[in-house]
Amino acid sequence: MTRNFAAAAVAVGLGIVLGGCSVTIPTDPDGTLDELRGGVVRAGASVNPPWTDAEAGAPSGAEVDLVEDFAETLDAQVEWTVAGEEELVAEMERGELDVLVGGLTATSPWADKVALTYPYLTTTGPEGEKELHVMAVPSGENALMTALERFLLDQEVQQP
Amino acid sequence: MTRFGHTELPDEQERALRRAVRLAWLTIGFLVTAVTVVYVTMGSSQAMKAAWAEDLLSFIPPISFLVATHLASRPPSDTHPYGFHRAVGVGHVVASTALVTMGAFLVWDSGSGLLKAEHPPVGTMVVLGQPVWSGWLMIAAMVYTGIPPVLLGRAKLPLAEKLHDRVLFADADMNKADWMTAAGGIVGILGIGVGLWWADAVAALFISGSILHDGVRNMRVAVAALMDSRAMTVDGKDEHPLMGQVDAALGSLPWVDEVGSRVRDEGHVFHVESFVVPVEGHQVTLAELREARERAIRLDWKVQDMVVVPVEDLPARFLPGLGAAQDDDAPAGSPKGWDAPDRSR
Repeated sequence: MTRNFAAAAVAVGLGIVLGGCSVTIPTDPDGTLDELRGGVVRAGASVNPPWTDAEAGAPSGAEVDLVEDFAETLDAQVEWTVAGEEELVAEMERGELDVLVGGLTATSPWADKVALTYPYLTTTGPEGEKELHVMAVPSGENALMTALERFLLDQEVQQP
Repeated sequence: MTRFGHTELPDEQERALRRAVRLAWLTIGFLVTAVTVVYVTMGSSQAMKAAWAEDLLSFIPPISFLVATHLASRPPSDTHPYGFHRAVGVGHVVASTALVTMGAFLVWDSGSGLLKAEHPPVGTMVVLGQPVWSGWLMIAAMVYTGIPPVLLGRAKLPLAEKLHDRVLFADADMNKADWMTAAGGIVGILGIGVGLWWADAVAALFISGSILHDGVRNMRVAVAALMDSRAMTVDGKDEHPLMGQVDAALGSLPWVDEVGSRVRDEGHVFHVESFVVPVEGHQVTLAELREARERAIRLDWKVQDMVVVPVEDLPARFLPGLGAAQDDDAPAGSPKGWDAPDRSR
């Protein structure tokens, strides 16, 4: 049994490594990042000033600007949905949203439903605790996730 | 002089024991670093989580080995006249129970993740100011945790046989298989890398399945040994050859007609009860009995706690395997002696 597994593991590993030469690592299981290039980024914002705000349905705020800039690097337009966090998370789980912002932090309880990015900014909260600011993307869309993370880390974001 | 209870260890076993203790500490030291490295890199990977749990569980066998050998070295006392050898069996049961529990939990955890089609997110980490895909870090961690245990396991296995130590054997066996955990983890992460979300959960399922399998197998051997099964080899697969050797040694004495022994594994050492039937008309002397005992004890360091009982007939009640072997030369009907005491009066 051990030997059979060894052979199988080597074969699968080799297959993945060789097969991987033609693809970028990581790749999205659902190909989200490729769809976004030159297309539309479906972004969700829940109101949480100063990170996100919305007047008369037009979203604004530091994180909204960041998402707009990110979309620009992909030659994409942004289509905004403004709603509560819970509803936006549900939409993202159904595959109807690509990026979600709203002053989320690394300790967000949504972490088991959507993927939280690497923190792009650390601030100090009202009680002196550290707050690690993150955005959310569909869980497992790792190419989109790493692309957004690399973009955010390059921005040198200041506290709004 | 190192002892297991009142058994003095021969030089070879003493050296093996010292080496095994050193290796146990080395294993613990390595595991501390491995658990840290895997924890820091594991992120949301199921396979990494399973591998981390296995590393965490790997602490139990070397620790139970150290505790068990320490306890077993105590001399028998008024309250523990057989000594403390069973500490090995207890350690073995504890270690295997931990494996079974954790294995079952992880099978359920990764299996349900697969059924719910959870897509594991593996993003970026900043290392020394550079953003790196965490998958590469996980693979590096798996390579680091995969190689040393195999070497440790290979070094421990012959010592486990020499010392007849089941806890050490279980530990060595698990260590030796550790590279499979690492390889499974790497395959899972590479799978995520190329966009196969299920690869991670399948790898995790495989890893947890092997933990569960290890646990069940070890638990069987451990429980059987505690239930006083006849002495088995350290891997629990075959009858221990010493059982036959003791009977042969006693049977070759000129005054002995028939021999039957029961031998149980106390942990490291055996407890032997040998029944001997003297040739017809021979009056057994105390010196002859002492010589018989000494002859058997000289066979192996594991045989020390031993009694030789002269009987008229081999007691089938205490030697259940006897029936088949003795059918040829024993007359049919109820044997006399210990088996059928006459209680009618």
